[in-house]
Amino acid sequence: MKKIVLLFVVLAATTTLSAQNYFTRDGKVKLDATSSTSPEKIEALTKTASCVLDASTGKIQWAVLLKSFKFEQALMEEHFNENYVESNKFPKATFAGQITNLNEVNLAKDGTYNAVVSGKMTLHGVTKDITANGALNVSGGKIRVNAGFSLILPDYGITIPSLVSDKVTRDARILIDATLEPMK
Amino acid sequence: MKKMLVVLLVVVAAGAGVAYYLWNKPHVNLTNAKSDIAVDAATLLEEYQRDEAASNEKYFDKVIAVKGNVTEVMNDEGTVKVSLETGDANGFVVRCELSATAPHTRTEFAVGETVQFKGTCSGLNFDVQLDNCVEVR
Repeated sequence: MKKIVLLFVVLAATTTLSAQNYFTRDGKVKLDATSSTSPEKIEALTKTASCVLDASTGKIQWAVLLKSFKFEQALMEEHFNENYVESNKFPKATFAGQITNLNEVNLAKDGTYNAVVSGKMTLHGVTKDITANGALNVSGGKIRVNAGFSLILPDYGITIPSLVSDKVTRDARILIDATLEPMK
Repeated sequence: MKKMLVVLLVVVAAGAGVAYYLWNKPHVNLTNAKSDIAVDAATLLEEYQRDEAASNEKYFDKVIAVKGNVTEVMNDEGTVKVSLETGDANGFVVRCELSATAPHTRTEFAVGETVQFKGTCSGLNFDVQLDNCVEVR
């Protein structure tokens, strides 16, 4: 009896180990908060977003350090960190969710798949449910993720001062481009 | 009346000057900056893994001089990222993203060589991330 229990424990452990995780720490996230009336672009890019995807369950997690966003204008970068996202208090934005149409996605087979991801986005100390559509391109054992969605900044307690409301939109556009590789 | 006009002009000119300066304010350049703390890569990651909040208190947005052995150099569409060895079991490192605007004497590093970078600490995202990095020579 003990042997059988042990066998099950070993089996369970091996199954967990073989569940394939995909990972990157070089994900690109672009933030575009340019309002339609703005003469200049309010946008920033980070190339160090992390993502972990569990291929067997479709669970997916993202994290990005707000301080790693680069703006063309140093002043904008400063305002973003100090007045908008308050990165000293909330250094990280995270998303934890789930591919909801995993049955339509075959991560073991090369191809491009539409994916719908739902989960919880945490930014500026506020957590909200979001859903985003994206494309997963599986090729040669790697998964490229492209997705775009909107974040309503005031929903996350980020207020746009009326002085700049003609430049900075409340409805920021987020674009993601990341290539995940099997985790060793 | 004339005096008032002159004063007004000066004020407007000064305001425009300040606005112009702020708008064109240069990006952080750490070339001549004094580092707030010096630490080796292994210690920095280990401290962050032990207590992220306390480490952010200590390191976040500070100018840190970090020393370590290069494990990987990546040129990601013009952005150079250098990984410094920490001995972490899962292979997490201290990642130094070189400044895009500060001058560099070199942007290529050999795997295994010991280097020191000055950078601003952005926090923990599996790795400890330093931005605006310049090499300390």
